[in-house]
Amino acid sequence: MNTLRRVQVVPLVLALLAALPARAAEKPQINVQELTLPNGMRWLLFETHESPTIAAGWVAHVGSVNERPGITGLSHFFEHMMFKGTRTIGTKDIAQDLEIIEQQEKLRAQMRDEMEVMRERLRRGEIDDILKPESQTARYRELEKQFEALVQKQREIIVKDQLDQLYTSNGGEGLNAFTNHDMTAYLVRIPANRLELWAWLESDRLANPVFREFYSERDVVHEERRMRTESTPLGKFDEAFEATFWDASPYGWPVVGWASDIPSYTKAQADEYFATYYAPNNLTGVLVGDFRTAEVKPVLERYFGRLRRGKTEPPPVVTIEPKQLAEKRFHAEAETSPTVRVWWKGIGFTHKDRGALDLLTDLLSGRTGRLYKGLVLGRQVANEVTAAIDPKKYAGIVQMEAVVKDGKDPALVEQALYEEIERLKTEPVPPEELQKIKNQAKANAYRRLSSPLFIMYQLMVYDALGDWKYINAYADEVDAVTAADLQRVAKEYLTRENRTVGIFLRKEGAAPADPELAALPAQAQAMVKQSLQRVEAETDPAKLREGIARMQEAAAQAPAEMKPAIDLIVKRAQERLAALESKK
Amino acid sequence: MKTLAAVLVVVVVAVAGPAAVPLAAQGIPDHPSKLTFKPIAFEPPRPADHRVVLKNGMVVFIAEDKTLPLVNIGLTVRAGSYLEPPGKEGLAALTGSQMRRGGTKSLTAEQLDERLDFLAANVGTGIGDTAGTASLNALADNLDESLRLFVEILREPRFQEDRLALAKEQALQDMKKRNDDPADIERLEWNALLYGEGHFTNRFVTQASLAAITRDDLVQFHRAYFHPANMIAAVSGSFDRAAMIAKLEKAFAGWPGPKPAVPPVPAAIQSARPGLYRVQKDVPQGRVTMGLPSVRRDSPDIYALEVMNEILGGSGFTSRITRTVRSNEGLAYSAGSGLRFGVWYPGSFRVVFQSKSRSVPYALSLVVDEIKRIREQPVSAEELDTIKRSLVETFPSNFASKAQAMAIFASDEYTGRAPGYWTTYRDRIRAVTPADVQRVARAHLEPDKMVILVVGNQAEIDVGDDKHPVSLAALANSRVTVLPLRDPMTMKRPSS
Repeated sequence: MNTLRRVQVVPLVLALLAALPARAAEKPQINVQELTLPNGMRWLLFETHESPTIAAGWVAHVGSVNERPGITGLSHFFEHMMFKGTRTIGTKDIAQDLEIIEQQEKLRAQMRDEMEVMRERLRRGEIDDILKPESQTARYRELEKQFEALVQKQREIIVKDQLDQLYTSNGGEGLNAFTNHDMTAYLVRIPANRLELWAWLESDRLANPVFREFYSERDVVHEERRMRTESTPLGKFDEAFEATFWDASPYGWPVVGWASDIPSYTKAQADEYFATYYAPNNLTGVLVGDFRTAEVKPVLERYFGRLRRGKTEPPPVVTIEPKQLAEKRFHAEAETSPTVRVWWKGIGFTHKDRGALDLLTDLLSGRTGRLYKGLVLGRQVANEVTAAIDPKKYAGIVQMEAVVKDGKDPALVEQALYEEIERLKTEPVPPEELQKIKNQAKANAYRRLSSPLFIMYQLMVYDALGDWKYINAYADEVDAVTAADLQRVAKEYLTRENRTVGIFLRKEGAAPADPELAALPAQAQAMVKQSLQRVEAETDPAKLREGIARMQEAAAQAPAEMKPAIDLIVKRAQERLAALESKK
Repeated sequence: MKTLAAVLVVVVVAVAGPAAVPLAAQGIPDHPSKLTFKPIAFEPPRPADHRVVLKNGMVVFIAEDKTLPLVNIGLTVRAGSYLEPPGKEGLAALTGSQMRRGGTKSLTAEQLDERLDFLAANVGTGIGDTAGTASLNALADNLDESLRLFVEILREPRFQEDRLALAKEQALQDMKKRNDDPADIERLEWNALLYGEGHFTNRFVTQASLAAITRDDLVQFHRAYFHPANMIAAVSGSFDRAAMIAKLEKAFAGWPGPKPAVPPVPAAIQSARPGLYRVQKDVPQGRVTMGLPSVRRDSPDIYALEVMNEILGGSGFTSRITRTVRSNEGLAYSAGSGLRFGVWYPGSFRVVFQSKSRSVPYALSLVVDEIKRIREQPVSAEELDTIKRSLVETFPSNFASKAQAMAIFASDEYTGRAPGYWTTYRDRIRAVTPADVQRVARAHLEPDKMVILVVGNQAEIDVGDDKHPVSLAALANSRVTVLPLRDPMTMKRPSS
């Protein structure tokens, strides 16, 4: 009885070809087999026998997009909990373990009441940060002491990180997981003979998970947030920028979660979350490597077939980002080189314009791309430029960014960027240039197939975004794009009302800035700096024009040593004026 | 219809069944330790099977791999920043990058970039501390032209002035960012403490040294070291071996001048005095590194040291430091240790973690305890067995692709690794005993000889955690040095 439903039947001819001596693929495509278990769990299998290993993973179709205010970051936190063990793995005494967890939950319920007291004190302005130890109530501290005692008691029966230990001693490598807006994926590379071990461990943590060490793991996640977001020069700014960019979409909150939400998750929330989103009907498994499909099918069926389909289907994401009505602007001073960032609302992963927008940003990026040639080599206003699309599952972004050359006005860089986009709208891309981008896309399509681990990663990601076949369709898809398509999408997406603009300036005192200013005599610098700041802040072209005239008049009568200072101010004022007048 | 009915039956069983059906009845053992596995026979490829010496002296490791229509060539060139004349720090890196970016004798930078992009050929060149590299990844169907351009870049770079000026300006802007990210500060200061301010890896590029570098310097640096006899190639991809060797012979023939003599990489280092070094940076999380120089690759202790480090902090969640600091206490997201064996000069051992400011002292005390424990007590048989099995079982991954295998052989040739390393590796790991682990820990990990670097909000770090009163200074035997941030453009510290 064949319980595995094979959706894609491999033609006999292909099977025969596989037995012939290896020769280079004619097209950047791989022969992936798709299977579905009766419980709804889907599988993507690709055999490749270069090395005696298998890249193995599964992806849960859940990410921060499925959260709501108050539990932001729960998907990512959940990723951590999946390493904490099961009824078999991670404990010496499951009965006592579960009993301790129950006692811990009772204490935590009381601690949550105290946290509400602390939040109330914060609202009244009596404390400034509920995360500081000195903000805790006496009752909270007492409860925490009791909780700590239970943690110590539990530690005696916990087998620490046993999942990791089992993989390590069996030659597993790179055991890891990642979470983003749309997915949570779990992956490892194993020796080819350990597939059944993988099936045992992975199906066990899906069938019988125990969320032990829930609360100490929240602390670990908070440290992760501190490391990635709070202690990096741009982490907090990037988070705020994304929150500005999206109006209604759940993509607006950070994957790691807001700082206030992380210490507030409850185990009850986690249980509900698991039941809804980690049911087999919401999962896709992926194997790439040294195995025989006919041999692994019964193993997958036996181990993963035991998972129960969810009682209800995961709820759909219903929020649709509304059409943006007006440009948004974001002005930041940070420890970074001055940067102009422009993001437009783009498309979701399965949208028909994916190929055209992908090619459009390819055309703009790279050393022979239009932005580098236009802004770095040509106008010489920027030092670095990038352009890319970020298609998520439900919506997406077209992203461009330029690092402003020292001493140049960011407004000039922004303007130059828009000029390049204007050219895309008004002039068709010449055939030679289009062919160059297509040649690169095709070569890159092959390069993406050079590592089993990377193939597995792509299959998981593309499937979670809604279309794993992209791995094979990409090259043909971009090949079909025409110059007219590029012109159309440029006009449609890259408009003023559809964009959010970030101007990042180097924070005062963070590092020396402005080489032209530094070149002036020391005694002139303070005065000139003040004038330049006024120039940068001026938004009225008429006033600038008036100022320039006055300065030029003064320059004629000023002593020779003052001339360079005045010239610099006039030059910057003229640049500012040009930028203001041409701004669309 | 029949098939559909069968599927339906299974669906019903699947929904109603599993909770009631014992594991054994499903053919699933109740514990993974009961699974058995067919052994995998694996022997590493042998370098001699792939090694060819071209007429011009270039050593080539070559393997056919026809799965994709691509060709990879990776060159290692005997050169490095250690060869820079004083006052011209940054010359090696600029020479390396500008070979690719600055055009060739027959093509301007613009023409070269356009042509390579049209061919979809990826070409990279660079010069690091102790080696130069150049790589080509090209489509097999335009290999001849791609290879011709690649060799032209290596042989006759144009070093176009405007591209050099741009690169210097970009480098100058990046220089300003040196103090922005605490991770960058830590990386830079750690290397200075480990190997000394005078070590060639700590001769910093500054605004002045960058300004002093001219196009002529690049021309001379390139001419002094780029010669086929100074190159080792790793070549793999879609070609016939004999035809590819003939192509390489032809492409690299007739290079001007004799094989240049290259001075050896200096072996001496000068570590900072042991103790605590503090750098102020206003961030909510402290970054901590604790460690000391380690051995060179030719030490007989490397196998026991590798096992010891994996047990202590090198194997993620399975290792002691990660378990103690992260998993038990929740004090860090990232905590562990790293061990690097030196090739030309001593390598390093370091523990690293990041923790919120106030828990830095307690977390560090846990790390120190773990270092003491691995010195004072033998490791358990289970811990040792786990790590030994891991190192043995993951061994084939070193040679996962032809490209990886050729790259290993080229690197071994360049660094003169002892022959037999790969063929004996697994037996040597299997032979490590608990006594060996303890012996190398005692010999190589003395806490009193270690340097501790803490980058973060120092006042907040000193507030500490009221449940665990530990002071950073006490952990360093009161040997404390405050390191003011360097000026990013001169790398001088403010005189206080």
